[in-house]
Amino acid sequence: MNGDARKWLKFRIATLLAFFLVLLIALASRAFQLQILSNKELKALAEKQHTQTLLLQPDRGIIFDRNGEKLAATIMVDSVFADPTKIENPAEAAERLAAILQVDRTVIQKKLSGTKNFSWVTRRIAPEQARLVQELRIDGIFLVKEPKRFYPSGELAGHLIGFVGLDATGLEGLELKYDHYLKGPPEKLLWTRDAKGKRLYPRVEIPKAAPRENYNLVLTIDNRIQHLAESHLKSAVKAKGAKGGFAIVMDPRTGEILALANEMGFDPNLFSAVNPATGKNKVITDSFDPGSTFKPFLAAAALEEGVVKETDIFNCEDGHYAIANRVIHEANRKRHGALSFHDILKYSSNIGAVKIGERLGKEKFYQYIRKFGFGEKTGIDLPGEVSGILRPVEKWTRVDAATVAFGQGVSVTAIQLITALSTIANQGVMMKPFVVRGLMDRKGNVVQSYRPTVVRRVISAQTATRMTAILTDVVGAEDGTGKQARIANVAVAGKTGTSQKFDFSRRAYSTERVKTSFMGFFPAENPQIAILVILDEPQRDKWGGVAAAPVFRNIGEQILNRFKTNIRVNFAPDEEKTADDMKLRLISAPAPLANQTALEGDEAAVPDFRGMTIRDALRKAKEKGIEVRVIGSGWATAQQPAAGLPAPENRLCTVTFSMGS
Amino acid sequence: MIKLDRRLILNFDWTLFILVLVISGVGLLNIYSAGFSLTDFRQTPLYIRQIQWILIGVAGMAVAFLVDYRFLSRHAYIIYGISIALLLLVFTTGYATRGSQRWIAVGGFTFQPSELVKLTIILALAKYFDRSQSGRNYRLRELLIPSLIVLIPFTLILKQPDLGTGLILIILFFSIVFFVGLDWRSLLLAAAGGLTLTPIGWHLLKDYQKERIMTFFSPERDPLGSGYHIIQSMIAVGSGGIFGKGFLKGSQTQLKFLPEQQTDFVFSVFAEEWGFLGGVILMVMFFLLILWGLKIVLHSKDYLGALVAFGITMLIFWEVFINIGMVLGILPVVGIPLPFLSYGGSSMVVLMTAIGLLMNISVRRFILQS
Repeated sequence: MNGDARKWLKFRIATLLAFFLVLLIALASRAFQLQILSNKELKALAEKQHTQTLLLQPDRGIIFDRNGEKLAATIMVDSVFADPTKIENPAEAAERLAAILQVDRTVIQKKLSGTKNFSWVTRRIAPEQARLVQELRIDGIFLVKEPKRFYPSGELAGHLIGFVGLDATGLEGLELKYDHYLKGPPEKLLWTRDAKGKRLYPRVEIPKAAPRENYNLVLTIDNRIQHLAESHLKSAVKAKGAKGGFAIVMDPRTGEILALANEMGFDPNLFSAVNPATGKNKVITDSFDPGSTFKPFLAAAALEEGVVKETDIFNCEDGHYAIANRVIHEANRKRHGALSFHDILKYSSNIGAVKIGERLGKEKFYQYIRKFGFGEKTGIDLPGEVSGILRPVEKWTRVDAATVAFGQGVSVTAIQLITALSTIANQGVMMKPFVVRGLMDRKGNVVQSYRPTVVRRVISAQTATRMTAILTDVVGAEDGTGKQARIANVAVAGKTGTSQKFDFSRRAYSTERVKTSFMGFFPAENPQIAILVILDEPQRDKWGGVAAAPVFRNIGEQILNRFKTNIRVNFAPDEEKTADDMKLRLISAPAPLANQTALEGDEAAVPDFRGMTIRDALRKAKEKGIEVRVIGSGWATAQQPAAGLPAPENRLCTVTFSMGS
Repeated sequence: MIKLDRRLILNFDWTLFILVLVISGVGLLNIYSAGFSLTDFRQTPLYIRQIQWILIGVAGMAVAFLVDYRFLSRHAYIIYGISIALLLLVFTTGYATRGSQRWIAVGGFTFQPSELVKLTIILALAKYFDRSQSGRNYRLRELLIPSLIVLIPFTLILKQPDLGTGLILIILFFSIVFFVGLDWRSLLLAAAGGLTLTPIGWHLLKDYQKERIMTFFSPERDPLGSGYHIIQSMIAVGSGGIFGKGFLKGSQTQLKFLPEQQTDFVFSVFAEEWGFLGGVILMVMFFLLILWGLKIVLHSKDYLGALVAFGITMLIFWEVFINIGMVLGILPVVGIPLPFLSYGGSSMVVLMTAIGLLMNISVRRFILQS
């Protein structure tokens, strides 16, 4: 090549190189456009292509009893689903699955034959079945872990806890009431999917937008007491041929429900197999005429109003007392002549009660019935509570006023009854019943604790003490109607009751179909346990003292045996104790022990402020020469130091007040 | 024929050799990833086979390096003839995949004669233009024989059918004509003729080839059919971002959303896993290779060497450009492999041999006395 040609060649090659450079820059620009400018959209497209999402059922929190025993928990079980588009031979696959899952072959085959790429086959199968399904290795059949509600104690507290449906939503009881807290955020199952639609690498993801984590529930229920209540109730129902029954154990000082038993046989694990009506917690959803168990509230009202003294004598008309067009009789056609106020309760005289009612006056009586919480919901934290039936006093006839005095013509719920009784046990201060002590996050930290709530002071402490003395005699006296409820070595206060059921067909109260009940508390001098037992339509021993009182005694006796000298301290785990994987915190400070109490009325002792308004508490404190630090407003719920303890040197007492319901 | 000369070693073109090995190494890594989830345990993994191809290619390179290119050129027409014969053999004994008959079996391997033809027509054209050198630009009628040299294999390859390789042959022809120089009147005439012939050529195309070209202009026309390749490729590349998803972590690659991910679309695997940065670095390496090739053209001692070197450089450049352009969705999908990266023995061995020839030309400027 000569020089000119080489120069010319050089020029052309340089031109070519420049052209190539432009082309390569064009490629790089295009890459820039795709990989940097459109990266987000294309990445999203890629994600969409290779991931497939399935919304999984949310996890649910655990329900613990007060000691950290699991009453309801969630376990992970396998569910089978199919991708029908990947199943080569639906008939054969269905055949083999049906054998393992024990489901009709045609049902499965239908599920495997769709055109969609997802279909549930059977949800929540046993581990053994899951293993067998896995071993089949059918293309297009998959297993996924799903949460299943499990009740480790079976029927224990079943009516209280309720149950959840297939879609993991609470349907009854606490599962329903606290569904919002128990239910976790929905989880997503993501699969990586290859180009042929084959699923690979499943992973579970919780959406970032999840509102919050779900919580565990800690109940006031003590599973041991619950078990006692249930087993004794059950055997009594069986022995007496009753249709059913309730037993409630409550701490009168705090309103904590320690046990709540419904005898009807309800295992939440098998909820779908039972009639939904049996799932109802009748303790709060059913009301009935309380009968004689209503008399103590009449009596308390009369004492509080100062219209009677224990020794006042009433003429009990020898068993026949005509009011307007009706004649009132005693139960079992007994006849009483003159009875003291005290004895009217001891013998449970209907006519005596009517006479007390007359002396009190129906307006006052009505007022106290309301104050004791009848005719309105107690506000217990369970769903479906009813308020019972209490007609306004303006509509009461003379007969009404008379019959209500012995518990007929008024309709109450079991929870109302025990709450009212606990008011007497708690020195006249009504506490709101509750079953949930607190919510804890999954790590065991307390998120929310529910403290005992004072509803109101209903009667004075003096009246309460006097009533307690009378009720103690009902059980303790040789001729008391509640004799059968006696427990060795402890003073029991209580009242029997038999309520005739209103027969709507005959428009009269039935003498055959009755609810027999016993309510009481102990130790009488420092009540810590209140129990209500009701048997529905017992065929034998229809009268309360005979049928229900022994159940009370059996439950009470065993609670005492188990918890020995101090019931309360044994109920609640201490501040530092860790039960299972969670930390339980005491909701209420333990009440002082009986033997620790300084002398009542001692100048040095701190008075009991509980149930008082701020003004009353301050007045009382002034009398005693004690300074009060006020926290909150409403009625006093707690105090430090506790009532009866010696006042500290600085004479300062901190009292916490809170608004009642 | 082969003279082992001290100078062959002294002046060995290490830059070219290392550059090609590095690109092939990157390609091997990429094939490992592309075949990572494809691999069936019953088969030899793709990367093992690719290593075999590279080794055979290096052997081919050594031979091409040692044999004086002037000796090779003396037999250029015979070599060309053999390659045409092999192309004909494809029609009789070759076997087809995906509707196209491109391969013949040699021993346990399959071989694609159309890849070989890319190199043999460079040799044949170089020989022709070297001989017909007149010191002035070519007229149209003087290009009749070189056109025939290209058109014979072009027709045969189009019949396979293999549009991509056919296209490369035509582009090679025009590139070499650009190199030797064309009379401007002839250029105008050729341009006019080309424009009138295009519609006729369109009718000669197979339906699937028309479809591909149509799809290029609007891939959304048929996202599950012929547009699928382009869309999937763009998704894979685009989702890679600046730094890529990482080695073996390209979701679109590993989940086999990419069609032909180890062969023609191998660049999308690379771009998904190594990102914009990796892609640009790879393109820069190719540009360096082209630059080096053109330097060899300029420094070659004779016109023949310059022609051969230029042809080979053009082959590499256009394959790189068309392949990457296709993967990035700015050029129609035609079956052209990415040099040194696409899986496949024929392309690898032929290109390695071509690089051997480049080194041959590069080193002999120190040996030959012009």
